[in-house]
Amino acid sequence: MALRLGPLRIPWPGAAAKDPYWDAFINRPASDPRNAAQEVLRHAAGGAVNPNRVDLHSPEITAAHLRELAAFLGAERMGIVRLRDARADDATESESYPFAIVCAVKAAYDPRTAPGVGGQTPVRDGRFVTFTLAAYIREMGCRATNQKPADEQRLAAAAGLGTLNADGRLVPARGARIHVADEVVHTDLPLAPDGEA
Amino acid sequence: MVATTQRPMPGDRLLTEPLTQGEPGKWDGEFAAPPDLGRTVHIVGPVINVKPSDGPHAKNARGELGPIMFSHYRNRVSADPLARVTGGANHAADPKNVIAQWINRGPKGEINSERVAVDDPEAMTRHIKRVAHFFGADVVGVARAHPTMLNAGQISDEGTAVGGGEPEPLDEVCRKYPFIIVATTAWDHDKIQAHRHHIGDAAYHVSQQKAGLMLKSLEGYIKELGYSALRGVAHGQAAALAAGVGELGRNGMIITEKFGARVNMTGTLMTDLPLAPGRPIDIGVEDYCKVCRKCANSCPTNSITVGDKVVYNGIEKYKINWLTCYRLRPYVHQFWEDCLTCVAVCPYTKPNTWWRTLAIKSLQATPIPARGLVVRALKALDDRFWGIVRQKRVRWMGYDSGIKPGERACTIEGCTADHEEHGQSRGVSGDFGYYYPLKENTNRFVKRDGA
Repeated sequence: MALRLGPLRIPWPGAAAKDPYWDAFINRPASDPRNAAQEVLRHAAGGAVNPNRVDLHSPEITAAHLRELAAFLGAERMGIVRLRDARADDATESESYPFAIVCAVKAAYDPRTAPGVGGQTPVRDGRFVTFTLAAYIREMGCRATNQKPADEQRLAAAAGLGTLNADGRLVPARGARIHVADEVVHTDLPLAPDGEA
Repeated sequence: MVATTQRPMPGDRLLTEPLTQGEPGKWDGEFAAPPDLGRTVHIVGPVINVKPSDGPHAKNARGELGPIMFSHYRNRVSADPLARVTGGANHAADPKNVIAQWINRGPKGEINSERVAVDDPEAMTRHIKRVAHFFGADVVGVARAHPTMLNAGQISDEGTAVGGGEPEPLDEVCRKYPFIIVATTAWDHDKIQAHRHHIGDAAYHVSQQKAGLMLKSLEGYIKELGYSALRGVAHGQAAALAAGVGELGRNGMIITEKFGARVNMTGTLMTDLPLAPGRPIDIGVEDYCKVCRKCANSCPTNSITVGDKVVYNGIEKYKINWLTCYRLRPYVHQFWEDCLTCVAVCPYTKPNTWWRTLAIKSLQATPIPARGLVVRALKALDDRFWGIVRQKRVRWMGYDSGIKPGERACTIEGCTADHEEHGQSRGVSGDFGYYYPLKENTNRFVKRDGA
């Protein structure tokens, strides 16, 4: 247990000091990946688009509503990126999405360095948010996918969640410890973007 | 017949039939004495364990509640896109869009062969509670298992309760898995002020999904520790009472110390992990429910009794009429999915603030014979500041409970979309929320017993 003041971590006598099992919870990898909920969510493919489209508000309002929903589902931040090259190549319309929605969740531990069931909890939370956002958009009658892109950190930076460091990792614009959800929602729902990529 | 009902209620006909065949609910040895469930619930006779297939949804799925209910449950896409995603999978345009489907039907992992030694059950209990909170739980408790708390039926190889077949010997199950972990999430307080509205639905459904994800994570972690974790075998409310998570209110809900009635107790984990069980708590629900009756008076279907407790299936408690509560749904589904009125109006359902804690502590500190006076004073304060029935206007994500049911309007300031069906913003003002149906409209088909 440590007291965190921005980048500072000050050792603090707390519950963790009295909890002999906590370190293994955070750092011991699961013996069976199926015991980790994030692995279960990895296989959640999502359903079809509802053919009955709902009456939409203006793009700015719709974006604000998605932001409210993402926050209610547990996202710390959410950003929308307009994809410049969405229709640049010969991709058919069904494969082309003009917007990407990037979410970031609170992370008490960094999932890259904490492989335990507890340490991977932010990955689970990120997938929960992105799946439900994409499913909500599909049930509204617009196309949406939640998949793991190769460049979610770059998209997060383009959405204004922070800046990229030399390693290509997101440095949050504000001091909270956050984890960028590894899945990004691509959609054709008309939205007001926060940036372009 | 072992189950008895002193005051039959409308719709009880199905319930007064024997719930299961076989041995009456008497247990020997260490389970001969009934469990201590606190002041609100007492086991006074043999309890016949309920099969999972005896629940309302299971009865409805078999068509036992009539064609209207069956069609409502099985063949309806919800009017609200958010409820389609977060509610029951039967009500989505595509059930694959509901994450609970993937969580509940996902593959289950094996128990770790390297079992973690537990020298101090108290320390492990603290750890498990901390882990549950880390995974997202708002309330956590541990109860010692007793056969009366269990569902009847078989336990699958994957560790979940299934109906049908030869019932497991429940006392043996309790000896093998002696502890029940009760953990759940609380509904958002501000949103359930819009009870009988899609906003309240969102609070209920999303917290239910988060609870499912949390329990899935906790189940996996207990297996990683090298112990078993059985889902759905133990009854959540009974275990919550024994664990000290809360007390049973007149509205049939577990009322917790921090969140009041805005939690649902459906998920449990039964385990052989050595833990230290809790004790029932006394937060004054027994004394308050004798006087208050807010939930009974505001229930749109009169499903909550205004009378005394009854003995049903060997258990003395306030008994709600689930059938009339359930049967309203097909008539209101375009306005809401889940009622929540009895939760929203409960005086215990408040933000978790210092003044709420002060009220509960003052009730706890009062000797039981004198609590009636304190309850009346607290209820007068509650009526004065919170109203007898909440009619607060709530706005969230474009939903607005200030719009009268049946009307369509966009009340979002600055929305420039051409709402062909809605029309543009109307002059909805004030702080008054409309919640369908009004009670007088339901009285015509649901009469109070004895009225």
